[in-house]
Amino acid sequence: MMPQCVAAGSGLNGRVPFVFINNKVFFQQVVIMVVPSRRLFQPPWEFRESALFTAVAVIAGFTIQYVASGRGVAMPHLPFNAIALTLFALLVLSIGLGFREAPTVKWFGGIPLGLCLIFAIALLSLIGGVVPQTAVAPGSLPALLGLNQIFSSWPFALIILLFLANLGLSLSWRLVPFKTQNIQFILFHAGFWIALSCGIFGSPDLQRLVMKVDEGYESNLGYTMESETPQKLPFSVFLHDFSLEGYPPQLFLFDPQSNQPLEELTKTTTLVRKGVKASWKGIDVEVLDFLPYALPGKNGIPEPADSTAGIPFAKVRITSSGAPIEGWVSTGSPMMKPDAVVFQQLVLLMMPGSPKAFLSEVTVHDESGEQTKATLEVNHPITFMGWKLYQMGYDTNAGRWSQYSLIEVIHDPWLPAVYLGFFMIMAGNLLFFWNGIKQAEGAA
Amino acid sequence: MIINFTTAAIVAISCWALGSLLSFFARKTPALKLPAFILSFGGSVVMVGFIAFYWSLLDRPPLRTLGETRLWYAALIPLVGFLVEYRWKIVWLKYYCMALASFFLGINMLHPEVFDKTLMPALQSPWFIPHVIVYLVGYVLLAASSVTAVHNVSLQLRHKANDAGESVSHYLALLGFVLLSFGLIFGALWAKEAWGHYWTWDPKETWAFLSWLAYLGYLHAYRYKIDRAKLQWYLALSFVVLLVCWFGVNYLPSAQNSVHTYTQS
Ligand code: HEM
Repeated sequence: MMPQCVAAGSGLNGRVPFVFINNKVFFQQVVIMVVPSRRLFQPPWEFRESALFTAVAVIAGFTIQYVASGRGVAMPHLPFNAIALTLFALLVLSIGLGFREAPTVKWFGGIPLGLCLIFAIALLSLIGGVVPQTAVAPGSLPALLGLNQIFSSWPFALIILLFLANLGLSLSWRLVPFKTQNIQFILFHAGFWIALSCGIFGSPDLQRLVMKVDEGYESNLGYTMESETPQKLPFSVFLHDFSLEGYPPQLFLFDPQSNQPLEELTKTTTLVRKGVKASWKGIDVEVLDFLPYALPGKNGIPEPADSTAGIPFAKVRITSSGAPIEGWVSTGSPMMKPDAVVFQQLVLLMMPGSPKAFLSEVTVHDESGEQTKATLEVNHPITFMGWKLYQMGYDTNAGRWSQYSLIEVIHDPWLPAVYLGFFMIMAGNLLFFWNGIKQAEGAA
Repeated sequence: MIINFTTAAIVAISCWALGSLLSFFARKTPALKLPAFILSFGGSVVMVGFIAFYWSLLDRPPLRTLGETRLWYAALIPLVGFLVEYRWKIVWLKYYCMALASFFLGINMLHPEVFDKTLMPALQSPWFIPHVIVYLVGYVLLAASSVTAVHNVSLQLRHKANDAGESVSHYLALLGFVLLSFGLIFGALWAKEAWGHYWTWDPKETWAFLSWLAYLGYLHAYRYKIDRAKLQWYLALSFVVLLVCWFGVNYLPSAQNSVHTYTQS
């Protein structure tokens, strides 16, 4: 006969410490009763051991950083980083699969340690999110502990490595034996493993350089942030033309005494267009006429001009306490003084609008004669020989009349691996979204 | 322009206030239910209309400044409240949501300078709108999850039974996490196109990562043997991290050279 549960005594917190089966009392879930009195390091390990372990790892990391007098982790380039990563992945997988019943290994790949490591990563990132990640005086405490470059510091590297080991172990148990219901888990965890490990192990191979190319000239030199001497690139860039399109200009009231724009006005900057009205503290300004491209004509009245030479002019009427004043304002250019209207010890100015788009017409070619003609624009990089070329900047003082273009060139051989990870996480996300909804519907 | 916003905001806040009042009385007088809903819903409709108008006026989506994103929160948060009422028959959430939305509009009325008019080239990307919308909806869900968790905690403290509430806060957090993950990855893919690298530990990115970690931790704690009642505290507090990420970052010392603090240009 099957034992029959007749009644369950209700214990503390709804836990059931004993059951009556066939009129006998059996103390059930002895484990639960014992867990609170489990001594530290008595298996099965859980949160206390994980927290202790994580804390020791963080402290060890900071100690190494301090002993290395603030020098961060130096990582090897290709192919050595790829070899190291592969060996590490194989090691984690074989420990996971070979010793899957060992209590320590189980703990090492479990959620308690995972949570503590996530907490440690969060804590280190918090340092990185609060302490400015900029150069500080060498020898100062933040520099010695790597607080100002936390993401390449020893504690961060150590915690990430442990995290990858922890995540890798839990992953190995879901990969072998493979079950379709684990796909969501695998996509999330393997995706994150790949993106994180390749992003970090691959970082030494990331090359970011800036090229300055003059209009009508060619260059194959790139500069890094760290060094003054340029590096020769495997291709060169010829700049046909740089051009910039701006938003309409803006009106500003300027107080020459305080040498500052008046706050009220700068807060509510108004884009200039014919018919626009703006008012600040009893001063009303109306734009009577607006010429986006014009040049000063005879008797002070601007005349429309072509777009290369012309600058924006606006005719304004200012009404305040006295009689209305009318006049022309202009933004000026590197070749021309701006025009302003002076009234009541204030100056009404027109500033060029912020840039809307800027682009470089370029031809890129390598030594073998391979070449492409392209337009570089912000958000529209081009790819050439595994390099990505980005429109980065220009001579901001000259604005539309800039004679050169700044082009950032980037080489990142690990990008496809990181993107693979991203897309796996997104696929896992979609499944999670779908299953989450199904679960909730089942529950409701 | 600002005048129009003030009018829209006042109309929306009045709709929410009156709607809340009516739906409070609707407990005794069920006939008031429908008008109460129409009024409360109307508040969000006004905000959606204003956003549409503002979008066409600016010739760009109003998603660039904090002030502009607050417009979206104000329109969307009450909708989450209504949805939860409809789906789980939980009535009280919408009051918190409408109060939160009114609070956001209030901030905008006090600081009209948060309205700005131009969109810098890096933001003119096909990734921009999905990235920001996904984040907005995610934050709205997590805000609702937090509000639910606070309510659950207060019920716990008064020893009231409340199983449904805990599953609501969990489900909202789960959906919010999904959207945060998408937002984070969309942001990374966009950053690669616009700024050259997918991840630079910029303060804003770091804080977005931190808030993602907070909810990642929650999901795993939930899966493990951790007491669900205690996790309500966790959910309630996680929102603080989100708030820092969302507007606190601009005031942190680390943010001086962030590419994401557009408002301080
Ligand atoms: C620290 C290392 C990690 C460990 C040890 C770990 C372990 C686990 C385990 C054992 C589960 C339960 C799976 C199940 O019941 O089917 C789980 C769920 C989950 N994990 Fe992880 N995980 C880790 C990190 C991550 C990361 C980095 C992500 C995100 C990319 C992630 C996303 C998820 C998601 C979304 C779930 C589903 C939660 C749910 O169903 O409520 N995990 N994880």
